[in-house]
Amino acid sequence: MQTSPDGASSPVSLEVEKTGYLAAAAREHWISVVSLILFLVIWELICRFEIIGPYQLVPPSEILGVFVDKLSEPNPDGALLQQHAWASLSLALAGFGAAVCIGVPLGLLMGWYKPVNLLVRPLFDAVRPIPPIAWIPIAILWLGIGMHAKAFIIFLAAFVPCVINSYTGIRLTNPVLIRVARIYGASNFETFRKIGVPSAIPMVFTGIKLSLNAAWTTLVAAELLAASQGLGYMIQLGRRLARPDIIIVGMLAIGLLGALMSWGLTRIEARFASSRRLS
Amino acid sequence: MIGRLGKRLMPAALTTGSLLAFVAFWQVVSLYTNPDFLPSPGRVWDEAVRLFHTPVGGKDILAHVGYSLRRVLTAYLWAILLGLPLGLCMGWNRTCEKIVSPIFELLRPIPPIAWIPIAILWLGVAEGSKVFICFVGSFVILVLNSYTGMRYVDPLLIDAARSFGASRRQQFFNVAVPACLPSIFAGLQNALSMAWMCVLAAELVGAREGVGFIIIQGMDLNRPPMILVGMILIGIVGSLLAASLRWAERALCPWRRELV
Repeated sequence: MQTSPDGASSPVSLEVEKTGYLAAAAREHWISVVSLILFLVIWELICRFEIIGPYQLVPPSEILGVFVDKLSEPNPDGALLQQHAWASLSLALAGFGAAVCIGVPLGLLMGWYKPVNLLVRPLFDAVRPIPPIAWIPIAILWLGIGMHAKAFIIFLAAFVPCVINSYTGIRLTNPVLIRVARIYGASNFETFRKIGVPSAIPMVFTGIKLSLNAAWTTLVAAELLAASQGLGYMIQLGRRLARPDIIIVGMLAIGLLGALMSWGLTRIEARFASSRRLS
Repeated sequence: MIGRLGKRLMPAALTTGSLLAFVAFWQVVSLYTNPDFLPSPGRVWDEAVRLFHTPVGGKDILAHVGYSLRRVLTAYLWAILLGLPLGLCMGWNRTCEKIVSPIFELLRPIPPIAWIPIAILWLGVAEGSKVFICFVGSFVILVLNSYTGMRYVDPLLIDAARSFGASRRQQFFNVAVPACLPSIFAGLQNALSMAWMCVLAAELVGAREGVGFIIIQGMDLNRPPMILVGMILIGIVGSLLAASLRWAERALCPWRRELV
């Protein structure tokens, strides 16, 4: 017979099991902390013993210093970290915002109204297999190396997931609900607005999250190629100057801002979903 | 029989029709715009014919595609070899998860494209850095998908296997891994298209061969038709890669046929 605590049912042993679980959770937490510290220590040692030279990697202790310096020191790339971050953020959010405002309604309409689908589908199908990054050269030829080209590419990148997810979301509307609305005399538009759109909301949000991700990634690519400001420009210049510290600070800033934006979006989604549940 | 055949041909017919409609739309738009701005489909076709007969940057156009594909597939295979076991391990074993996840979570939000500068600093502008970028892109997706797939395996299945006396090893290989195959395959799909996008980005930043080089060359020479040929080529190769993977999925997980 097995004597595992899983099978225990008396209240006393349940208590024991609970504290045992907490202890296990604490132990597991420790493993994570130790693993992270070990990672940083190994990184530090690799640099200290110059297994990887200072022109390729700098230790984490210096990264922190560079990060703080970069907040008040525009050299060597000509702008403060927060200025680069702001340039990138405003561009990404502009492209992303436009893509959501156009892409979500378009996807919903395509999913609901056949003529819209027939009209837009060919354009969309032809453009979709080409990664947004492949548009960078032609966008630069069309719109120059300014803000417009980058905004256009970010828009393209963020647009596709918005449309696809809204389209799929509204196509998956439960047909029973649609028929109920029809039976009670709702017009097609009313059914679309009151049944189709709300039931597509979860999928729409998934699409918005995906498109934020795509916008941020594409922004970095666009700034690597053609920019005079922004985090992508900063890391690209770091490479030209062989300054790994600048590159790593830039990469961490990109990662942090990306994570923050997705976190914010998740919060908005949670609030939106809960307010809907109340009403 | 005819009905079934019709059902299978219908999507292909729709796609062809919509592509034709797109080309027609493009033709109409190009009639009313400056040809240096948006070349007509005919001019792009001529350019494609020219590019297939004259080398670009010393290499045949198909050789460029071959270079890009080789980079993508090398990185993809490495990502599968390292990423899938790691993800499955993290999903199966709590200790493994707790060791790897803090480091993984630290690096995950950084888009693979942001690794390009440091990869060039580490590995030079040659093959190494490009393969590395593609590897990073597909590795992260593969780990995430196999990990979540493993975490969402129905515990009932594992319990059933255990009560039939399966060893821990058998539970893992015969029950858990097949159960998360759908999630793994979704990861394989996404990882491949991510790798294809990453190779493009890496080649745009600096390369002497590859599909990214073709379009950047077109930009440098101010030849929109050449860029468009490159873009279409990229789209076609990307779609073919995705289609071949879908075919592999159908062959390897036949029980998912109704969903594909």
